[in-house]
Amino acid sequence: MADAPHRRQYAFVIRQLTSREIKRKYSRSYLGVLWSVLNPLLSMAVLSLIFSQLFRRSIENYPIYYLTGYILWQAFTGATTAAMTTLADNRALLLRVKFPMELFILTRVYTAAINLGYSLIAYAVMLAVFRITPKWTMLLSPLILLCLFAFALGMSYILAAAYVFFGDVKHLYTVLLTLWMYCSAIFYPAEQLQGVIRTVIAINPLYLYIRGLRQLVMAGQVPGPAAWAAMALWGGGLYLLGHTVFRKCRNRIIQKL
Amino acid sequence: METLKTGLGAEAAPPEILVDHVTMEFRRAKDEASSLKELLVRSLRGGHRYEPFKALDDVSLTVARGEVMGIVGTNGSGKSTLLKIIAGVLIPTRGRVAVDRRRVQLLTLGTGFDPELTGRENVYLNGALIGYTKAFLDRHYHRIVQFAELEGFMEEKVRNYSSGMVSRLGFAVATAGDAPEILILDEVLSVGDLFFRRKSEARIREMIGGGSTVLIVSHSPSVIRSVCSRAAWIEKGRLMAVGSPDSVCRAYEERPQ
Repeated sequence: MADAPHRRQYAFVIRQLTSREIKRKYSRSYLGVLWSVLNPLLSMAVLSLIFSQLFRRSIENYPIYYLTGYILWQAFTGATTAAMTTLADNRALLLRVKFPMELFILTRVYTAAINLGYSLIAYAVMLAVFRITPKWTMLLSPLILLCLFAFALGMSYILAAAYVFFGDVKHLYTVLLTLWMYCSAIFYPAEQLQGVIRTVIAINPLYLYIRGLRQLVMAGQVPGPAAWAAMALWGGGLYLLGHTVFRKCRNRIIQKL
Repeated sequence: METLKTGLGAEAAPPEILVDHVTMEFRRAKDEASSLKELLVRSLRGGHRYEPFKALDDVSLTVARGEVMGIVGTNGSGKSTLLKIIAGVLIPTRGRVAVDRRRVQLLTLGTGFDPELTGRENVYLNGALIGYTKAFLDRHYHRIVQFAELEGFMEEKVRNYSSGMVSRLGFAVATAGDAPEILILDEVLSVGDLFFRRKSEARIREMIGGGSTVLIVSHSPSVIRSVCSRAAWIEKGRLMAVGSPDSVCRAYEERPQ
């Protein structure tokens, strides 16, 4: 797509835009970026308060079980919902600069990745608090994050393109996300469900990522080859699909903007 | 319609910028579907009604190396669209533009200034978007601040700046670089008070003097008269006149209102 100096410039632009996003997000709050650390912890506290009694038998170490799912889920929704509106939000800029529009989408996804980085600090602290022993399998978790972000990026491309043409995609996606969240077994054990919904969960890529990370971090198990293949295929596949769709629509998007 | 052509034989060298029968059409749907529901309803009823809107209509133009070409026209005449096409931000519906895009720099004021960020942060963000590298900005930061006469204000948020301060900073960042080979200026010459305007015109002249090919867009004929070597007048997407700045500006000023 571009030669080395161009790519370096793109990286610089993405870093600048990302730092703007983060500064803006917290520009009027007192604790600032600390919220990225506190948020998952507070959410974990609330959910644990309610559900850890309920699932005491089926889930060992409920707070960590939940937190693992929650931070991945937040990274995904944070990336996709922000990226969906980015072209419309940056309309004025887009029509003035020579950079590919993809940079704006990458920026929002990268911002979500940085936020995930902060959440991981909270996560690490909680792992220590709940005495999860460090295991070598944890070293494989970046692979899962990579697949997750490829998946999120693909989704972002599609949503961003769709949102330019149809504003109501935003509302539809909110509903879809609610459904998707309940199908991702973030706060309940997937094993307790039967039938169609169980199948849906089993093929749900987000559940695959969440389950994979839980295995690596909590159980010290490495997911089987089939699971890895599914995770990589979902990530790579959706990324390619999204990118292709976006390329195809590029001109129409600019005209519409 | 009046067409004033300079002697074609004078341009022996291949033109630096060639605009060849460019038409830019925007499909402005009469009442466009902005939601999926509407789209569905409308496609069931059959067909959309589009009203093609020509922002540019069969415009041909050449700019030779080292020339300073001015483009005048009222607001909404298509000037900016033409610039965006030349800069490669928009892709024309018909026709073609031949120009080495790697050497083009499009300068507009305050591209991506964010009121929530400080002056310093905005210099970096804006600079990155214009295409400066981080090293370049580190080196020139001091000069930019000096030129904008904003010493002591750089750690303040831009939302607390006066509009004059914002445009001064915008101009200083936009023209901080060494003159690129092909420079496109979109209405950057009418900012600030009289004193700053003189200073900025001097800076533009300095950049022009470096032998760049320059394309200036302005709705003010006096700017075109004072800096350009050739001029064109665009009105309602049509090329009305090309020739010496004086004759073109006179035709523009004497246009039937």
